[in-house]
Amino acid sequence: MNFWYFLTALTLLSALMVVFAKNPIHSVLYLVFTFFCISGHYVLLNAQFLMAVNIIVYAGAIMVLFLFVIMMLDLRKNVPESKSNLTKLAGAVLGGTLLVVFIAATRHMNLGNGSGAIGAQTGMVESLGMILYKDYLLPFELVSVLFFVAMVGAVMLGKREAGERNF
Amino acid sequence: MEITSTLFAAKAIYIGLIFAITLGVAAYSTYGERIVAAWMQDRVGPDRAGPFGIFQPLADAVKMFMKEDFIPANSSKWLFIAWPCLSMLTALLTSAVVPFGDKLDLGGGIEMDLQGIDVNIGILWVFGIVSLGVYGILVGGWASNNKYSLLGAIRAASQNISYELAMGLSIIAILMMTGSLSTKVIVETQQNGAGFLSWNIWSQPIGFVIFIVCAFAECNRTPFDLPECETELIGGYHTEYSSMKLGFYLFSEYINMFVSGAVMATLYFGGYDYPFNEVVEAQFGQNIAALVGVGALMGKALFFVFVFMWVRWTLPRFRYDQLMNLGWTGLIPISMFNVVWTGLSILIPTTFNLPAWASIVVSWSGIGVLLIGLIIYHGATSKKKTVALAH
Amino acid sequence: MNAIIALSLSGIASLFLGFSTNRKNLLITTLLFVLVALGLNLADWNHEYFWFNNMLKTDNLSINFSSVILLSTALVVAISRSFGDDEEHTHPAEYYAIMLFAAAGALMMVTYENMIMLFVGLEILSVSMYILTGSDKRNLRSNEAALKYFLMGAFATGILLFGVALVYGATGSFNIHGIGEVVSRTKKGMELFEGGVILYAGIILIFIGLLFKVSAAPFHFWTPDVYEGAPTIFTTFMSTVVKTAGVAAMYRLLSISFPAVYGLWGNPLVWITCLTLIVGNITAVYQQSFKRMLAYSSISHAGYLLITILAKTPNTNGSILFYSLAYSIATISAFAVLMIVSENKPKDGKPDESFEALNGLSVNNPFLAFVLTVSMLSLAGIPLTAGFFGKFFIFTDAFSNVSPLFKNILVVAILMSAVGVYYYFKPIIAVYMKKGEIAEIQLPLIYKITLIITTALTIILGIAPDLVKNMF
Repeated sequence: MNFWYFLTALTLLSALMVVFAKNPIHSVLYLVFTFFCISGHYVLLNAQFLMAVNIIVYAGAIMVLFLFVIMMLDLRKNVPESKSNLTKLAGAVLGGTLLVVFIAATRHMNLGNGSGAIGAQTGMVESLGMILYKDYLLPFELVSVLFFVAMVGAVMLGKREAGERNF
Repeated sequence: MEITSTLFAAKAIYIGLIFAITLGVAAYSTYGERIVAAWMQDRVGPDRAGPFGIFQPLADAVKMFMKEDFIPANSSKWLFIAWPCLSMLTALLTSAVVPFGDKLDLGGGIEMDLQGIDVNIGILWVFGIVSLGVYGILVGGWASNNKYSLLGAIRAASQNISYELAMGLSIIAILMMTGSLSTKVIVETQQNGAGFLSWNIWSQPIGFVIFIVCAFAECNRTPFDLPECETELIGGYHTEYSSMKLGFYLFSEYINMFVSGAVMATLYFGGYDYPFNEVVEAQFGQNIAALVGVGALMGKALFFVFVFMWVRWTLPRFRYDQLMNLGWTGLIPISMFNVVWTGLSILIPTTFNLPAWASIVVSWSGIGVLLIGLIIYHGATSKKKTVALAH
Repeated sequence: MNAIIALSLSGIASLFLGFSTNRKNLLITTLLFVLVALGLNLADWNHEYFWFNNMLKTDNLSINFSSVILLSTALVVAISRSFGDDEEHTHPAEYYAIMLFAAAGALMMVTYENMIMLFVGLEILSVSMYILTGSDKRNLRSNEAALKYFLMGAFATGILLFGVALVYGATGSFNIHGIGEVVSRTKKGMELFEGGVILYAGIILIFIGLLFKVSAAPFHFWTPDVYEGAPTIFTTFMSTVVKTAGVAAMYRLLSISFPAVYGLWGNPLVWITCLTLIVGNITAVYQQSFKRMLAYSSISHAGYLLITILAKTPNTNGSILFYSLAYSIATISAFAVLMIVSENKPKDGKPDESFEALNGLSVNNPFLAFVLTVSMLSLAGIPLTAGFFGKFFIFTDAFSNVSPLFKNILVVAILMSAVGVYYYFKPIIAVYMKKGEIAEIQLPLIYKITLIITTALTIILGIAPDLVKNMF
């Protein structure tokens, strides 16, 4: 439990730093660190597979691409301060309201004692595979349609057309 | 309590040992590299420091420490310092799940796996850590505040991401054969049966070729060493690095080589398995058999390190577009084919009640099918190309 | 269910058809694919099936919604004209394939039984629409629209997913009937059960995500820009298929899972409905561009559809279906006419989509003028068109609800219908009264047939609504 508190504090801190960091590269690195902390939470929940996949997919692939793009853009120049004080105020009020609602919701929550059947195999690859391929077969297969659409779209939008300017 | 503390001490010693061995192997790989290079180019190579120059790595280390530690102006200082360390860290972390040997009997009924930790997700751990290794290069290159470094870093990132996909797909074929992600189980399934004939290499020839090519790319070794291509980018991502920080980058490359050699041995060459394993175990007992197994794994891994060096001094470097073409239009489709064909090679023997060797026949026939397919495809596309040229 | 599989497979098939050089074939085959899916969909009529471990449930209501979606898809495909003869800048095979996939996603949204299916279906539909919105790559407006839609849509999906997670945390179920059971059981004791507040927060978040997709009022800001920036053919698809699927998904969720907590989502929805009606209709009045006006009109129609969801009478199924059908066919004919006329009179190299482009259409193109008039009358809800009965059913539903709040909604809705008449007559006036020169426009055969079908359907449903209404 103590470790959980430590990890949670670290997660929140790094997540806040994502927002507050001045340099976008630092933001990305803090985000990567946040993903690590979340992977740590997965380990505490005995979900090793999710931990590994979280690191491989998010920290290892997606954030690298983020970093890639940000480095290419060179955001250190012209960062326009576009937000007016009104937007900031409205954002703060809205976010604060949401926060209050969630805090209230969690305060009323009765966690119980975890009545669900949680065994040593819960969260392991084998049990996850059984769930994915038996209970959730249909969404699992149909997600491939989603990825396929995204892939076709990315190729279609990113393809260089004849006569277009080559960089 | 007694059992756990003995086990804990043994585990700690083991981990320290693996750490030392990995670093030692990496250090002597630099020496080995020069010897191999000299041999291939018909030169003498290092021969001054000690007999046959075997103290060369020590001399190099002293040189590295003594050099001026330079941090470029306008660079992100913290990131600049932290990231070579991260490179080193990720390189070392990978060896945690590689099973270096079978169980060791510590007496008193305590048995210890010669493996850092046998996690349920074994091979995914390797994969996750490897995918993090790219940050060391990417951020280090960016923090240098140098165009060439940045270009090298970006090349490294795109290269690593591209080749990770094919690598993952080739691992999937292995997982289909063994039915587990745990590296220990992967080795154990290769131990059953007729000696080295049950190693995965026999049923996964295509997968192994893809994996070794991707391993080259992930380690940024020639012919995939574009990130540090000196003709185009001076020193690539480590242009601005000097002293031991540069040393860390170079060192992590050699560690990566050794570890990926060990992983390849684990996945495709039976890990710590060796012929007549059972005979040795019956004759000399469990501990000796296990230690011979460690030797076998080391031998296999070092052989792969040699292959890395051999290729480095044999093949020229790819061009960047060739590299991307090979990764995306070559390796990924082939590895997808490999996944499908592996499924076939598992399915055919079970459905038709054929003996186990039938699956090996099917998997090798996959190479034939692949070659025919490639020839047909090549014929079709090259015709199109000539038409396009005629326009 | 079979229709979803058929659409997914035929999407891949139509990608392969991209190798063929004849673009006409592509249109015909895609149309065929959609009609096959429609047939498979209707084959389950009068049966209730649970598919794949309670992931989907097909019943007559979902089949009806699916049919409306597939019919709209077929009509949109039919007026696509194979995306012109421009060999270099359009990729018809990809467009058709993505439209087929999007239709599959929409079907998932109307037949889902598990929240995961709702999410996957919604994502397939949304991602397809982001891509199609930006498919006109050289048009800056299209790029901007796609990016805007993508960013906002991604946030909306995130909110929806968060809501789903909270509802799962509170009820321990992804199954919508399961959720409904837990919610109604705990509500009977009239006290908050464990995690009750979490459930309420979750419902509200899901609600916001879905309201974004149907572009209801405080979440509508993306709509005009996206509808205007997207190529007109995909705007048509968006304003018919996406809206129907979104409303159906919301109706399914609210009527099955959360009827017990009507007070929670009912009260905000009343205000949202009123706001949607007012914003949509009033802003539409000030538009200079026909396309933008149609975008605002689609917002206002979302408002009318929300009234039925709120009214909760036994007739709701029929009214909501009839309204979506009437709205879809009328919108398709309106956009079809807009598309062909605006391309006929380019302004600065781009199609002219303002009202002026329609001036004097009736002189040389009486058929197009008539089609446009019928569709506008139907959207405005003038008698003898399908739109009139659509509104009529909705208003009777609202009237039969005893709650006094509904009288207020009814007043707003009727007032706003009157406002609607004003701006829907603008194009009609432009077509018949204003002077302009538009040469005779040659319509492809399939285009003409589609327009005849939509117009005929609008008029037939306007004269004999029972033909369809009784089916539901």
